[in-house]
Amino acid sequence: MSSESSKKRKPKVIRSDGAPAEGKRNRSDTEQEGKYYSEEAEVDLRDPGRDYELYKYTCQELQRLMAEIQDLKSRGGKDAAIEIEDRRIQSCVHFMTLKKLNRLAHIRLKKGRDQTHEAKQKVDAYHLQLQNLLYEVMHLQKEITKCLEFKSKHEEIDLVSLEEFYKEAPPDISKAEVTMGDPHQQTLARLDWELEQRKRLAEKYRECLSNKEKILKEIEVKKEYLSSLQPRLNSIMQASLPVQEYLFMPFDQAHKQYETARHLPPPLYVLFVQATAYGQACDKTLSVAIEGSVDEAKALFKPPEDSQDDESDSDAEEEQTTKRRRPTLGVQLDDKRKEMLKRHPLSVMLDLKCKDDSVLHLTFYYLMNLNIMTVKAKVTTATELITPISAGDLLSPDSVLSCLYPGDHGKKTPNPANQYQFDKVGILTLRDYVLDLGHPYLWVQKLGGLHFPKEQPQHTVVADHSLSASHMETTMKLLKTRVQSRLALHKQFASLEHGIVPVTSDCQYLFPAKVVSRLVKWVAIAHEDYMELHFTKDIVEAGLAGDTNLYYMALVERGTAKLQAAVVLNPGYSSIPPIFQLCLNWKGEKTNSNDDNIRAMESEVNVCYKELCGPRPSHQLLTNQLQRLCVLLDVYLETESHDDSVEGPKEFPQEKMCLRLFRGPSRMKPFKYNHPQGFFSHR
Amino acid sequence: MERAVPPAVPLGQMEVFQALQRLHMTIFSQSVSPCGKFLAAGNNYGQIAIFSLSAALSSEAKEESKKPIVTFQAHDGPVYSMVSTDRHLLSAGDGEVKAWLWAEILKKGCKELWRRQPPYRTSLEVPEINALLLVPKENSLILAGGDCQLHTMDLETGTFTRALRGHTDYIHCLALRERSPEVLSGGEDGAVRLWDLRTAREVQTIEVYKHEECSRPHNGRWIGCLATDSDWMVCGGGPALTLWHLRSSTPTTVFPMRAPQKHVTFYQDLILSAGQGRCVNQWQLSGELKAQVPGSSPGLLSLSLNQQPAAPECKVLTAAGNSCRVDVFTNLGYRAFSLSF
Repeated sequence: MSSESSKKRKPKVIRSDGAPAEGKRNRSDTEQEGKYYSEEAEVDLRDPGRDYELYKYTCQELQRLMAEIQDLKSRGGKDAAIEIEDRRIQSCVHFMTLKKLNRLAHIRLKKGRDQTHEAKQKVDAYHLQLQNLLYEVMHLQKEITKCLEFKSKHEEIDLVSLEEFYKEAPPDISKAEVTMGDPHQQTLARLDWELEQRKRLAEKYRECLSNKEKILKEIEVKKEYLSSLQPRLNSIMQASLPVQEYLFMPFDQAHKQYETARHLPPPLYVLFVQATAYGQACDKTLSVAIEGSVDEAKALFKPPEDSQDDESDSDAEEEQTTKRRRPTLGVQLDDKRKEMLKRHPLSVMLDLKCKDDSVLHLTFYYLMNLNIMTVKAKVTTATELITPISAGDLLSPDSVLSCLYPGDHGKKTPNPANQYQFDKVGILTLRDYVLDLGHPYLWVQKLGGLHFPKEQPQHTVVADHSLSASHMETTMKLLKTRVQSRLALHKQFASLEHGIVPVTSDCQYLFPAKVVSRLVKWVAIAHEDYMELHFTKDIVEAGLAGDTNLYYMALVERGTAKLQAAVVLNPGYSSIPPIFQLCLNWKGEKTNSNDDNIRAMESEVNVCYKELCGPRPSHQLLTNQLQRLCVLLDVYLETESHDDSVEGPKEFPQEKMCLRLFRGPSRMKPFKYNHPQGFFSHR
Repeated sequence: MERAVPPAVPLGQMEVFQALQRLHMTIFSQSVSPCGKFLAAGNNYGQIAIFSLSAALSSEAKEESKKPIVTFQAHDGPVYSMVSTDRHLLSAGDGEVKAWLWAEILKKGCKELWRRQPPYRTSLEVPEINALLLVPKENSLILAGGDCQLHTMDLETGTFTRALRGHTDYIHCLALRERSPEVLSGGEDGAVRLWDLRTAREVQTIEVYKHEECSRPHNGRWIGCLATDSDWMVCGGGPALTLWHLRSSTPTTVFPMRAPQKHVTFYQDLILSAGQGRCVNQWQLSGELKAQVPGSSPGLLSLSLNQQPAAPECKVLTAAGNSCRVDVFTNLGYRAFSLSF
């Protein structure tokens, strides 16, 4: 212990005592800092285990000494103080040892810590290095993949295939020996060849461009030449006009017409084309012309930009008008109506010349908003006609074309879609406007190629040439027959009104030579009056007395007998026969409901009309029917059986030759006239 | 009086002609088939139309059932008279009588089985045949018409056996008196003559117009219709419709009908007559008018009672005349509907 304590003391005082190994270091230290006691060095020398033992021993000793001191103190005694002092000194020494040991432990601890710290630092440094390296590795890997994925632009170029390349490329580029083995060289060679080819093609392209320029210039020159030709041709055409007229070849006129025709709306255009074609091909008596203002037609198709410019102006105007008094609702409606019924400014005029030099003038209009065509008709004759009173309606423009085809009365619009349009502006039917606008007959629509399927509104304007062509010929023929039959009737009516039934010589064979009954009256009656007659009920109920027909009343007389005949003249005369209904006033009133013979007379005239048609075009039907009526009345009156109870002779002696007076269960009179024998027999 | 106006149909030439034909059509004769289900009607254009009574009377009859099943041109002139045997339809008009098989008649393009023309005296004009009468006991047919004679024809051989002369003007109608086989004929000369078939001679003559009770000179003297019930006979036409007692040749009842009657028949205890004027008249034997049922034609020419035992459901009275319609009366009290050509 004391050695130890001396050891402790010694190092404290003596500096150079130490192991020679650390002595060098210590010396260096001490050399620099003078004299100091390095306990650190000492730590390294001592064994911690032994120090621990020392510590335990020292604690034990201290405990022992304290115990002894305790003992001594408790015993008390004289020597105790010395002993205590002794022991106190010993424990002080032990305390010093403990302190040293404590210091040493601290130093050891510090050292240990430092070492750990150092090692840790090293490890950290390595760790960082590792991380850096790893990072670099990753970076490099990425770079490698990038490099590997790199597509050189040259791969996007579509190179010609290898075979072609070797075939086409000149050997100084292809360098087959080198390139075959080396793909890099091969690709290079191919690229070279590509470049070469492209240069050549670019060269060609430039050449072609320059060629094109040249040719364009040539074209320009020729165009100039041609355009300079046009005015010269025009002057030649002008000069040739008189020659054309002299030779009756009006090419110029036709040309002008075709020019105007370009502005026609589609249905009128179809009509114009078809009519001109028909006129040239089949019927020289048909002439076609276009009337109306071309400028107005052009004005209908104003380009939309103008209207946009106008918008701003019209807006300004609008504001103005709202300040002024608004026009009344009725006037607005009226304007809307006018707008709806507006006609296209151009119209097509057809002139049909008939054999007797009478002309039927037809003017066709197109109603734009309603998409229908209408026609106005006029008949002019070579000589001035004096119209008999009853013939007023025959040639009137309103009714001359009525029912050209059965049922086509032209008072209703044929386009079902118009009904919706009419409802918007309050027009009930087109009938009120037909006088002004013309009649929208179905055949007119067909001539213009407008096809209206029944019961379905038409959405688009489809002007069909084939429809027009198929109807053209029939319609033209019907129009001609219509005009001629009307004119024939016109003449006949003039005669009928004077009480003469004009029977032509080639129809004379139908009747006996002597006819005593006379026609005394021939007047036109109204449809309502016809319906009111009591003996026309059957015809009305059979639906044969529509409002498109014309009605007349004829009166045949002989002696006291008066025969009234109500006549229904169908517009389709003479293909559709006139229908007669009779009422005889002689010894009572006899009609077909109470006298079978009156019925038989009606049958003779109505059902057996085909015999009375006469030579084509059978314009004589009506007059022959009237003459036959007179003959029938004669037979009826003369064959009436004598009433024995009444005195006096018969009013009408029998003059007609009859084989038998009565036949059959209904006791018919002999109404059939036999030519040339001249006697009457039964059917 | 507000008259209903039918809507104007657009009529072409064909439709107008057909409408006129129908307006002026007269149906002169009718005949019921032996099975009772069909009715044949002949008109003034020479056409015969076959109607199916069973179809028109059935509960699901439509408008088409009232139209003929088949219509064909039978004669050149009007078909004035028709009768049916148990297998044939015999029609006569313009001088000829033709036979048609009922079994074949419904097929299109039916041709006549045979045609016969009685030996006429005159050749200038072919006389019409106004009346046909079957004599079942002798299996013969009697024809009478424009040449003022009655001809008998044997139905089996087709030969004309007798010609009975006596009338001075053409014959309108015939009736058979079953009991003693006698034929009555009425004609334009105003006389009803009775002929005995066995002896082929005129047995009795009644000159109707000479009797004051029934004569009406302003109408003429012609006898248009005849019917007999063995002891009794009813006739009419120009003179008033009268019931005669045959044996005594006296008029017992004069029926107060102004219009000349064109057809008369006995039915149960009534007498049915029709003629000028729309109605079918039903008379009691005492002379009272039981009922007047209007038809649809302005004048009637023929009545037909379907009493065939094979078809009791088709037991109707049909009337036809101055129109294209045949009125069907299921119950004598009213007109049920009309068949139309």
